[in-house]
Amino acid sequence: MINISGQGKLFITAVSFLLLLSLMVTGCAPQKSSKTQSLNLTFKAVVGSQALVFNRTHYANPGGDGQFKVRDFQFILSNIKLRSDTGVYRQPDSYHIARFDNAGTSFTLVLDNIPVGNYRDIDFSIGVDPEANSSRRSVGDLDPNSRMAWSWDVGYKFILFEGGLNRHDVLSPLVYHVGFSENYRALRFPLSNITANNKNSEKPLTRLVFRVDLMRLFKGVNTIDMGALPSVKFDKDDAKLIADNFQGMITLCQRGAC
Amino acid sequence: MVLALLIILAVLVFRSADRQSPDTLPLITRPLAGFSAPFVFGRFKVPANNPLTEETVELGRRLFYDVRLSGNNQISCASCHIQRLGFSDGKTTAEGISGKPLAFNSMSLANLLWGAEHFFWDGRADSLEQQALMPIQNVDEMGQNLEALVLELQADDQYPRLFNAAYGRISTVNIAKALASFERTLVSANSKYDQYLRGEVVLSKQEELGRKLFVAHPDVKTSLRGGNCIDCHSQFLTSGFKPLYDGFSNNGLDGEKALSPGLQAVTKDPAHRGFFKVPSLRNIAVTAPYMHDGRFASLEAVLDHYNEGIQMSPTLSPLIMEANNMERGHATQINLNLAAQEKAAIIAFLQTLTDPQFLNEEKFSNPFLARQTRSKLTAPDSKIPDSTIPEFTTPGSIE
Repeated sequence: MINISGQGKLFITAVSFLLLLSLMVTGCAPQKSSKTQSLNLTFKAVVGSQALVFNRTHYANPGGDGQFKVRDFQFILSNIKLRSDTGVYRQPDSYHIARFDNAGTSFTLVLDNIPVGNYRDIDFSIGVDPEANSSRRSVGDLDPNSRMAWSWDVGYKFILFEGGLNRHDVLSPLVYHVGFSENYRALRFPLSNITANNKNSEKPLTRLVFRVDLMRLFKGVNTIDMGALPSVKFDKDDAKLIADNFQGMITLCQRGAC
Repeated sequence: MVLALLIILAVLVFRSADRQSPDTLPLITRPLAGFSAPFVFGRFKVPANNPLTEETVELGRRLFYDVRLSGNNQISCASCHIQRLGFSDGKTTAEGISGKPLAFNSMSLANLLWGAEHFFWDGRADSLEQQALMPIQNVDEMGQNLEALVLELQADDQYPRLFNAAYGRISTVNIAKALASFERTLVSANSKYDQYLRGEVVLSKQEELGRKLFVAHPDVKTSLRGGNCIDCHSQFLTSGFKPLYDGFSNNGLDGEKALSPGLQAVTKDPAHRGFFKVPSLRNIAVTAPYMHDGRFASLEAVLDHYNEGIQMSPTLSPLIMEANNMERGHATQINLNLAAQEKAAIIAFLQTLTDPQFLNEEKFSNPFLARQTRSKLTAPDSKIPDSTIPEFTTPGSIE
């Protein structure tokens, strides 16, 4: 940004070099002993046995009449942790808004510079932990001016689903905005099957694929008739109904099957 | 070891000295002093190839107010973006060089570093740099040929020096960059609402009711009354949302037959038909008339529209369709069912978004008319921290 004349440049080059040298001497070089890798996490969205196609009315209302369409779907995926034999890697500022309105209806995030290790499980959560949920600060993808934010005294929507239900050719709106700290759900996925399959133990795990099933929002522990419950916002019991369902919407794909 | 390092040092010094050939003298620019914004606005990003500097902003301000940017040397950007009107023009739709009424209402300008990263009501520009050149060239707006403009500016007694200091030379790309730089400095952050957010003032009872309604989607089940504004206008910026086209919406102005393409003209996606940019509501009380086509003369008319004037169409926002402060029952008519005093309260809240400092700020004013004392852009008195949070994520740690 700032350009400096010849002499100044010379001086700065010398100073920064000396600074670098002093850093090396004081031993701030942990990279030497611990190798790092990256891990790609891909989330593919489906609706039950069908592909997710936005704005097409062709998914059956699991608890009643009619078919629904998805206009928008986003959720907050947070606090990613990887547990290995030697420790736990926690992604810093780990708040991601997962959205699927793209050609592959998938969401990908890359964990960079994670230590190479024999990871036993991966943890992450749906929603925002109570501390971050009551803050106005932008951390990771969290932004109090985003679509996922309610007003600051309420916090974030953990899941946003907006669409429509067609019953007897009458289209009615569907709005499921589910949040509240008590609906924050931590998930754990064991990686033992995947790592055991990895014959070449020298080769680190580079990619994990998850399936996100939108139908599970309405058909899981609780089966929901979208006609009877077309919107969920601030009613705590209704929000819990969906949260108990979204807890099971993500599965880890192994050996090509999810 | 030490010797090797000294050799490397010497090589580095030699190379850095060598790189400085007389043809490519580096620009000596000063980062814009004291530029800051409230932390509740969130992160912002200035393009790496167009940093905010004293030089670029000074140049951009001059260009913004210069009528030579139009083909007949009578219209500047400021003709349709008048500071005391929140950089809007008070007209239903804008009027340019041809005198033909244009398709859209002149947008107000404030806090352009935040909110949707697509500009114009239909989102046809993806950056302020791209936006800046479009009205200049449009035959009905400023009707200027860009090559002719460059020649005109080259012949001026000030611009060669100003461009030289800011970017090195006069070019269309640098004209766009300078205008974008100036526009990025148009930060409105001292309205009564901002002062309230900083804990400096309290809102009146009516304004506070309006604020609560503004930030609430109604939920009859929990007896929460809401004006439903926040579903499109973010709570602090009051603009549309940033990512992709989340900051665009069909707000029910027209039914299916009369629905204009809007964003669909840009994305070609039928799901975007009738979508228009959700504008910032900063200074909204002085930016009438309202909507992309300026159809509403007053805020009262706007509130009436959202309360009881919504027209149904296939792409209408489900959040608008669904929002109701009363049990819908079997009624099919969309109605927010706000009480008259609730509508008045929301308008009272909207009036707290007027920022007199912004509307009178000298560094945003016409430099051709400015007082003698104005020679450089001065820093604001109080600096609010946390405005520049880095974009990157730092690597994690192992326990």
